[in-house]
Amino acid sequence: MISDKPVILCVDDEENPLILRKLVLEKAGYEVVTSTSARSAVEIVSSRHVDLVLSDHLMPGAIGTELARQIKANHPTMPVILLSGVNEMPADAGAVDVFLSKAEGPERLCEKIAAALAEYRKPRSTP
Amino acid sequence: MSVNPKVNILMVDDQPAKLLSYEVILSELGENLIKATSGREALEYLLKTDVAVVLMDVSMPELNGFELADMIRQHPRFQKTAIIFISAVHLTDLDRLKGYERGAVDYISVPVIPELLRAKVSVFAELHRKARQLETLNRQLEERVLQRTAEIRELNSELQQRVAELETIMQVLPMGVAVAHDPECRFITGNAALSDLMGMKQGDNLLKSGDGELPYDIYQNGQKLQPGEFPVQRAAANRELVGTVELEVRRRDGQMAHVLASANPLFDDSGQIRGAVGVFFDVTERKSLEDILRERAELLDLASEAIVVHDSAGILSFWNSGAEALYGWKREEVLGEDINRILRTGFPVPQKEVEAPLAAAGRWEGNLTHYTRDGRELIVASRQALKLGSRGRSVILEINRDITAQLQAEEALRRAERLGAMGRVAGIIAHEINNPLEAISNAFYLLREHPSLDEEARYYARLAEQELARVAHITRQTLSFYRESQYPVSVAISEVLDNVLELQSRRVQLNGIILEKVYRTAGIIQGFPVELKQVFLNIVGNAIQAMPQGGRLRVRVYECIEPSTGRQGVRASVCDTGSGIDPEHAKRLFEPFFTTKETKGTGLGLWISKGIIQKYEGTIRFRSLRFAREHATCFSVFIPGTAFGQKQELTVSLAAS
Repeated sequence: MISDKPVILCVDDEENPLILRKLVLEKAGYEVVTSTSARSAVEIVSSRHVDLVLSDHLMPGAIGTELARQIKANHPTMPVILLSGVNEMPADAGAVDVFLSKAEGPERLCEKIAAALAEYRKPRSTP
Repeated sequence: MSVNPKVNILMVDDQPAKLLSYEVILSELGENLIKATSGREALEYLLKTDVAVVLMDVSMPELNGFELADMIRQHPRFQKTAIIFISAVHLTDLDRLKGYERGAVDYISVPVIPELLRAKVSVFAELHRKARQLETLNRQLEERVLQRTAEIRELNSELQQRVAELETIMQVLPMGVAVAHDPECRFITGNAALSDLMGMKQGDNLLKSGDGELPYDIYQNGQKLQPGEFPVQRAAANRELVGTVELEVRRRDGQMAHVLASANPLFDDSGQIRGAVGVFFDVTERKSLEDILRERAELLDLASEAIVVHDSAGILSFWNSGAEALYGWKREEVLGEDINRILRTGFPVPQKEVEAPLAAAGRWEGNLTHYTRDGRELIVASRQALKLGSRGRSVILEINRDITAQLQAEEALRRAERLGAMGRVAGIIAHEINNPLEAISNAFYLLREHPSLDEEARYYARLAEQELARVAHITRQTLSFYRESQYPVSVAISEVLDNVLELQSRRVQLNGIILEKVYRTAGIIQGFPVELKQVFLNIVGNAIQAMPQGGRLRVRVYECIEPSTGRQGVRASVCDTGSGIDPEHAKRLFEPFFTTKETKGTGLGLWISKGIIQKYEGTIRFRSLRFAREHATCFSVFIPGTAFGQKQELTVSLAAS
């Protein structure tokens, strides 16, 4: 069965936050794919359909902003949301569409995702 | 010498009887009677003694009276000796007698009348006595004249010595002396010192020079004097003392001297002016010392430090301008007063521990507290030195530098560093909390909606979630500010304020606050809307909280130029009539974790706001006025309008270079 739910790739090296975030997003009506590293996330994006990438910033290996650049290189229309424990947007966040603090809470997270998806769907639906 | 000394009367007669009768007649006179029985004997007596009168018989054998008289007269000593002849009168005799008339000659005819004889002898005796007395007097006078002459000669030579001494003194005197030798002062000579001072040869007329031009000019108060105005000339012309005047002698060879001059007129015996004397005291060295001292004093006055001099009892004798400026006390108010009483000196150690090293080593350094005239407390770095002054009095020189501001700045820096460190620690902690916080928030979000929960469990979850929201609020505030995008956008401050006021409108209404909005401009700047919103949310929120019983809230936006920097920009001010700011709190208002709201506030709002505004190179400040009936508190934010534009230009120009 092909679900019409938007697919969100959720990336975080820590398991508990990743699971809980996934659950919140699923409850909000998204299909969630998870990945615990930037490397596997790039593979997933290349191998299957993903509508939006939601990544933690600080991870071992490639960090969130680096991941965003790699994804944008191959999928320029893929929205990338960066989630961070730091409140300030990192300086090299050029490839990131939306920056969000972890302190914002689940409701605000869902709002931002919805807004980003809507933003990216618009040009596609126009033609 | 007796008053009436006896004189000798020589009686000559060849007849002793006659001699005897004369003796009888004349004995009454009380004179010395000498008898001679012949002319020869008479001559012998005459030669031996001083005889007043010779009484002789004309007719005597061997040598008669006339012959004897001739002989007597021939002797120069006896030319004036009185001779009385005794004889019978003959015409021829009378003629002869005339020959003797030059001298004192008389005759008595025979028979001798005793009274007549006595009278005549007495007259001659008296004459003789008078003559003798005159002679004596004369001799005495002559002696006295001689004596006087000798005395005068002695005085004269003494005077000459004195004059010579004076001359010498004048010549070696280091002070210049001028003597005018005529009433018109045409000829003035100077001693060695003065001639030297004027650049002339000693003994020369000071008013004449070989080539007609004097080798010097004299100035008084910068004005060149004509010779008639010189002190000596003035003294002679005005017949009065010229008191000390200060003159400047400028010599043609370039040398200059400062002299103190005074002059006195000279009068002759009749009270006529005959010249004048002037004294010139070279004070050039003293003058240059005075100049140095004056320069030093001026330097002392230029010093921004307080420089004071006092004795060991603290009694002030010097107080420079720096001290006046620092302490607010004028020189004339404090001289003669005790410095420690005036300034209420606070010593870091007992006063004795300051005085002891000062007395032993002559120095002390340390910080003192002083109070200014208007009661401000100062901390001064004090350096004191003990100096042995003249007349054995020791004085203490004290130099005090105000380090109050420096200490305050150091303290502020320390505090800022401490706060900065605190802020960084808080940021790190908040960051570490954010990760689990998100997970927990998500967990409670899921839990709250979970269908297996009963009403009670859901309530618990909701409570937990609310408290988690507080934690999230703290971490959001604590971390350096959060920007949603990387590049600044155009933001209208008035819109941000409207947005904030909209959010707060319920509380404004509830508290019964009257809102006044004065937007002179939209206040468009380049920035990040979310963080600007946070700034004004904090300021407006505080203002509303300060007015639980209502009041007026005035919000203004206008363009202005910051007076201190001249930068153009937008100023937004938020004023309330609420509880005001306690002066005690004013200093700490922008510190992190400072709050007056007890448990309700994080104490981070204004700290964060200030941090944000500083990123815009702006300023945030406040003023709180406390009146009897109400207080007014005004927070004002200035954001330079072109700060971002300039920043970009700067970056570009740096990159280009």
